[in-house]
Amino acid sequence: MRRFGTFFLLLVVLSLTMAAVTLPREETVYVAGALWGPATTWNLYAAQSTWGTDQFLYLPAFQYDLGRDAWIPVIAEKYEFVNSTTLRIYIRKEAKWSDGRDITSEDFMYTFQLTKELGIGPGAGWDNYIESINRVGAKVVEFKAKTKPLNYFQFLSYALGAQPMPKHVYEGLKAKKINIGDWVNDKPSEQVVSGPYKLYFYAPDLVVYQRIDNWWGKSIFGLPKPKYIAHVIYKDNPTATLAIERGDVDWAGLFIPSVWEMWQKKNLPVGTWYKSKPYFLPDGVGFVYLNNTKPGLSDPEVRKAIAYAIPYDDMLEKAYFGYGSQAHPSFVIDLFEPNKQHINYDLWKKTFGTADGRPDYNLDKAKKILDDAGYKVGKDGIRVGPDGKKLSYTISVPYGWTDWMMMCELIAKSLKQIGIEVITEFPDFSVWADRMTKGTFDMIISWSVGPSFDHPFNIYRFVLDKRLSAPVGEVTWAGDWERYDNDEIAKLLDTAVSTLDPAVRKNAYFRIQEIIARDMPSIPAFYTAHWYEYSTKYWVNWPNQDKPYWFRPAPWHADTWPVLFGISSAKNPQPVPKWLETVDNGGLSIPTSKIFKDLQSAKK
Amino acid sequence: MKFKPMLKFIGRRFLFLLLTYIVATTIVFILPRAIPGNPLSQLLSNLSRVAQANPESIRAAERVLLEEFGTDKPVMVQYVNFISKALRGDLGISITYYPRKVIDLIIPVIPWTLVLLLPATLTAWWLGNKLGAIAGYRRNTWVDKWVLTSSMILSQIPYYWLGMIFIYLFGVKLGWLPVQGAYSQGTIPSFSLSFIIDVLKHYIMPFASIVLSAMGGWAIGMRVMIVYELGSDYALFSEYLGMEDKRIFKYAYRNSLLPQITGLALSLGGALGGALITEIVFNYPGTGYLLFKGLTTLDYPMIQGIFVILIASIYLANFVVDFVYALIDPRIRLGQEE
Repeated sequence: MRRFGTFFLLLVVLSLTMAAVTLPREETVYVAGALWGPATTWNLYAAQSTWGTDQFLYLPAFQYDLGRDAWIPVIAEKYEFVNSTTLRIYIRKEAKWSDGRDITSEDFMYTFQLTKELGIGPGAGWDNYIESINRVGAKVVEFKAKTKPLNYFQFLSYALGAQPMPKHVYEGLKAKKINIGDWVNDKPSEQVVSGPYKLYFYAPDLVVYQRIDNWWGKSIFGLPKPKYIAHVIYKDNPTATLAIERGDVDWAGLFIPSVWEMWQKKNLPVGTWYKSKPYFLPDGVGFVYLNNTKPGLSDPEVRKAIAYAIPYDDMLEKAYFGYGSQAHPSFVIDLFEPNKQHINYDLWKKTFGTADGRPDYNLDKAKKILDDAGYKVGKDGIRVGPDGKKLSYTISVPYGWTDWMMMCELIAKSLKQIGIEVITEFPDFSVWADRMTKGTFDMIISWSVGPSFDHPFNIYRFVLDKRLSAPVGEVTWAGDWERYDNDEIAKLLDTAVSTLDPAVRKNAYFRIQEIIARDMPSIPAFYTAHWYEYSTKYWVNWPNQDKPYWFRPAPWHADTWPVLFGISSAKNPQPVPKWLETVDNGGLSIPTSKIFKDLQSAKK
Repeated sequence: MKFKPMLKFIGRRFLFLLLTYIVATTIVFILPRAIPGNPLSQLLSNLSRVAQANPESIRAAERVLLEEFGTDKPVMVQYVNFISKALRGDLGISITYYPRKVIDLIIPVIPWTLVLLLPATLTAWWLGNKLGAIAGYRRNTWVDKWVLTSSMILSQIPYYWLGMIFIYLFGVKLGWLPVQGAYSQGTIPSFSLSFIIDVLKHYIMPFASIVLSAMGGWAIGMRVMIVYELGSDYALFSEYLGMEDKRIFKYAYRNSLLPQITGLALSLGGALGGALITEIVFNYPGTGYLLFKGLTTLDYPMIQGIFVILIASIYLANFVVDFVYALIDPRIRLGQEE
């Protein structure tokens, strides 16, 4: 008993001498909405890495800037086209791994080799577009494009966006016979990174990164402002939302119903990109996918009628809180000015008879199309096709995706009025995803792709390229979920990416749009929102409509790291760094147009 | 003489437990597979969003994952694989948190679940029995009425609902106690007084919600038992002998406890389920959240792993209770002698 007493006393004394370790609030950016479960790995060769690994630990050679349509030289200093299919990248002499070793051309070569070997990793799929990667000097690496097929977009995006991994670390693992895909890399002291942060601590409900104060890029980019980035893993959206309201979270990527109430009603120091509708930047195009293999839906006339009968405005207003706008039928995200050049406006105005070519919500037109195509209304109010089959379908989204669930209900109600019976189904995500990828669904709402430097090629390929598809019943995650089958599209896509002549590319895009207008394979319905909220309680200078210095500001986005250089402590506001600007404006960033010009003037 | 039947009793119980354990783990293996859907879909959808720029890369990744998890293999092959690995202590790799090992994910959260579940269940049991006994002893007084009514109400309230009321009342409205987590946000667990106090503050509400909602059932059961025992021959006889009321109560209480101990063993499973839900409500970093995630994403290895461990610990607790039961009630072990 006495011994126990002594032990207990010792325990108390010991615990008194140690204070709890708490992150300094004013030097920490708290994040929510990018992680919803325990951390996995900090290894990009695993099938999925923990949030932060891709964002802050390993930087690319060049970082694409969506807002300026330009590339920031990060690990690279400059590029040079040896000829029209060979690109040299010069690595900064300052660029070093966090263990002090130089980042070299060997690292680049090794990274891609390992990715090819494992099938998973940075730059996965590169070997479809790149012939070889060669060493020219210790700090110079050369990428040769594949010429069959030649895809300039993919070539540039793989080469410029190359994310080197430390060769010496992975070789060490191989020597120790460690399975690289299973490597967790969770020991902060052993992490070797190129970015300005590395892991500090993690628990089942928390992941913390710490700034590397002697980061190699300090003299070029300065240091990111927060000393710590801490992601608290909340159980659900409402808990995380409550945390941002209380000022416990500074940076979030959440779907928040009626987000404007935060500043309009509750007077909280919270903001999103826009102060008024639509509040968020677009993230991609939300589609109503129509299964092209189902009777009835296989008829372009039925699909066209459906395009008129989707209650676009109602859906966005009632289900989406006005967080987006109706998508353009060309698939092109026309909210960004430079994208408008790709749209064949004459065609769309003629097709839908509206000012900018978007289909209006017009049930009479929809009915007329169906009547003309021979779909007769039966006794029960449901149309029957010339083949005797009823137009009766299901529409589904995963259970719990409340905004999309409500959209489904609205669509079902509306289609009923034109004589198409639609039953809503909300299965678990995995069941829904199975239907989607196997092509066994009738109608679904789902995502496609977002704005990027190869837009609209990326979206045409994702939605329409039959080479990404698979027969009904076989899983494909790659694209063409509606099983649209058209060889001409594939040819046009190849033309668009293998030419350096903007006119040829434009013609290909215009032709693709003619095919879309004719076939209407699926319906681009709305722009999904790029969920991003911030609190100015501890940190200011967040990118937004007034300070639009970074267009991918959500913490979960892979390109988000420059935000950490732009924000500053509320107590000590600093200007946004100049290097984010393009070269013409005194910054470092190189416009994509200049890169293409250099490519055009390179030797053949 | 006394030792042998006891050993025999324990041996039989152990064999029985082992058999039921195998049956239980088999069910745990089958059930998640009966849910339609592809367990790799969540992982692949995450991958496909990351790899939007190069859709081809998804195919290679899918191949790698199928090889890793073998979910395309026949169920029997998967079953044999699972059992043989589980026997070697290998619970496999989580799909949702690929490539983390299931065991590595469970181990850090198990203590939180146990620290919440065990003291709460035992406290509820102890408190409930005490209250029920007092109520039964003072039948038809205000104490009895009060205990009975409140127990009736409390025992019908689900754990999670009580938890939500607590959060709203003490967390949001009054702001006395933290609403979520096991310790304050941004604190790094350490062995220090301030941290321990912080943990205790976060512990109060989940603990209290489990104790309160579990307590009622015990109190009602105990009250009936005491009333019955007090009306039995030995109690009446003792009363006629002029034995002190307190002493009679003590005897009756002891006898009434026996069925309650069996009840405790039986209720552990239910208590566990309740604790898991309570954990989710309070965002407590226990197995509940992990299991919830596993179920919604069809993470077979994770669901299996958690149940294999949880069932084992419930059985172990059951076994201990059985053992204790045999110790305190001679009739049990003597009954095994034939």
